[in-house]
Amino acid sequence: MTGPVRPSARVQLAAIFRKEVQQTVRDRRIMFMLVVAPLIQTVVFGFAVDFEVDRVPTLVVDADRSATSREDARRLLADGTLLSVGEESSAEAASAALDAGRASAALVFERRAEADRLSGRGQEVQVLLDGTDPNRTTVTSGAVSRFFSELGERLARERIEASGQTPPAQLRPIPRVAFNPGLATAPYMVPGIAAMLLVIVTTFTSAMGLAREREMGTLEQVLVTPIRPVHLLVGKMAPFVVIGLVVVTLLVGVGTWLFAIPIRGNLGLLLVGTLLYLLTTLGAGLLISTVSANQQQAFLGGFLFTIPAVLLSGLMTPILAMPGWLRPLTLLNPIRWYAEIMRGVLLRGAGFADLWLQFVVLLVIGVAIVAAATLRFQRRLG
Amino acid sequence: MQELHAARGEAAPEAGAGPALSARGLSRRFGEVTALDGLSFEVGRGELYGLVGPDGAGKTTAIRALAGLIRLDGGEARVLGLAADDHAVRERVGLMPQQFSLYRDLSVGENLRFFSRVFVLPREVYRRRAERLLEITRLAPFLDRRADALSGGMYKKLALACALLHEPEVLLLDEPTNGVDPVSRRELWALLHEFVHGGMTVLVSTPYMDEAERCGRVGLMNRGRLLLEGAPPALIAGFRDEAYEVRGGERDRVEAELARTPAVRAASPAGERLRIVVARGASAELARALAPLGATLAPVTPDFEDLFLSRIREEEA
Repeated sequence: MTGPVRPSARVQLAAIFRKEVQQTVRDRRIMFMLVVAPLIQTVVFGFAVDFEVDRVPTLVVDADRSATSREDARRLLADGTLLSVGEESSAEAASAALDAGRASAALVFERRAEADRLSGRGQEVQVLLDGTDPNRTTVTSGAVSRFFSELGERLARERIEASGQTPPAQLRPIPRVAFNPGLATAPYMVPGIAAMLLVIVTTFTSAMGLAREREMGTLEQVLVTPIRPVHLLVGKMAPFVVIGLVVVTLLVGVGTWLFAIPIRGNLGLLLVGTLLYLLTTLGAGLLISTVSANQQQAFLGGFLFTIPAVLLSGLMTPILAMPGWLRPLTLLNPIRWYAEIMRGVLLRGAGFADLWLQFVVLLVIGVAIVAAATLRFQRRLG
Repeated sequence: MQELHAARGEAAPEAGAGPALSARGLSRRFGEVTALDGLSFEVGRGELYGLVGPDGAGKTTAIRALAGLIRLDGGEARVLGLAADDHAVRERVGLMPQQFSLYRDLSVGENLRFFSRVFVLPREVYRRRAERLLEITRLAPFLDRRADALSGGMYKKLALACALLHEPEVLLLDEPTNGVDPVSRRELWALLHEFVHGGMTVLVSTPYMDEAERCGRVGLMNRGRLLLEGAPPALIAGFRDEAYEVRGGERDRVEAELARTPAVRAASPAGERLRIVVARGASAELARALAPLGATLAPVTPDFEDLFLSRIREEEA
């Protein structure tokens, strides 16, 4: 790997590269899997993976049938978090509807709700919630609580003002959200999805590639030629680096076009990061294939690497939410570092000065993996 | 290329002298199976050597050992005076493996071009050699055909062409005529003789005894070892046993009688008759034992198959 590449090695590298391209381009299914499938998946996942909770199907039980209960229900359902799916006559009926899955929340206004409020005795509004999805339940319950606490505060102020006194000063935090002011999920998730698809596609193709040569017997013929193992491996990886860069460019394009993902930073920097990332994922594939006797084993090896890598990357669950002993493992995970580069460059407009650590770590992991694969890959059949 | 050859000459002082191939006590086990069990033989420069033996004798493992493709548990494999896995040997050896080993999804021309590039042949050299190889293998009309669309014989010839592109000094062929029609088989052997005539050293393995007779020297392999070695005429001349055809009699009873007789080294059906190998001097007694069954013995000229079957039987007894 070090030192100038001999002219003969260049010819050999080019031969492997050209052969790999011929085989890949000729295989339509592989081309589909490499280029089209990631695009389709990004679009589908981009729309499907959405942490925003809205349109929670909600039932209203208005036993009071007063002006205030009607007004409360109307305003609570107006902000989009809750979506009215009908009315029920009693709390029991609403509870049964929740059991049946016809709604996820129910607001129950007791009789005399208006009278209780006006009398100053205090009003209770019952909220029934389906707790199957903890995130959704928390958000729904939060929305209802916020609505009524603001309402209560307003009523208190009105009463104080009506009595001629000055109400206490208001305390109100005003959050200003940078980079993703709408708090949309897509700009955060789509770069992560791209990183995930890239690791899956490239790890599998490189793991299967060498295993196929072994299984088909072509490795035997190649091994008796004067090519050095490292040149064989690098030549086999190179076409997929090119394809990977094309795919990333396409994915960013689709993300910008469909999901309004900003490109605030330098795309060239992103491509350099992608190059380092591909070194790690293709290298991991090669390493897997050096310990696999055939394509089936390589396929299983691919799963054994990619699934834990995706789960422990911080894409699915925040790294800080993982148990302490598991967290250091994510430092070795190329997906984690690449997702940080992608989000940094695209969403924050971060430059190399902000992301140098991520680049260095990816480079170190990549070189280590490719070196390990080269050492493991002996010029031997058995 | 000239300079490279000069450099090699310095690296291998004994180049030109000594055997082209040398196997010394090669041993290799694969789990419970002993593939090579102290195999030793040498192939001189410019020799056509046949490694003959039944399936599972260890021929493929022996050839892979000489190609430097497998780890050995013991012994030493040397090629042109260098260790078999020495990188410097690569450009001087050609291998044609037994199973499919070319890219099926590449065409005849693309496969040739690929191997010429991996061997770093200059374009003009490649063009000249490919043209000649395509001509002698008669593959020229199929240049654009995918390798997996070739017949068995055509594929073998393409594999041979790919192994010959870099004009190796030593050619290793593992069962090159396996699955090849008789015409292509004869053509392949004619090519091998032509190469040897041009000074190439050829080691060929085959399970077919009739092919052994086409070699300058043969080694009979069984269970990972060499049982017998020599030039085919000398081997047959030194054959100690006699060969007969058993005519007449009821097949089952005749076979039972033969199986009972230790002097019968081998028996194999030859059409309607049985061909047997009998220890020298034991035929008269056998003829007497067979007479009541209505069978007679007719002497035939012993051939390679008789020799090898008898020798393997003797070894295993």
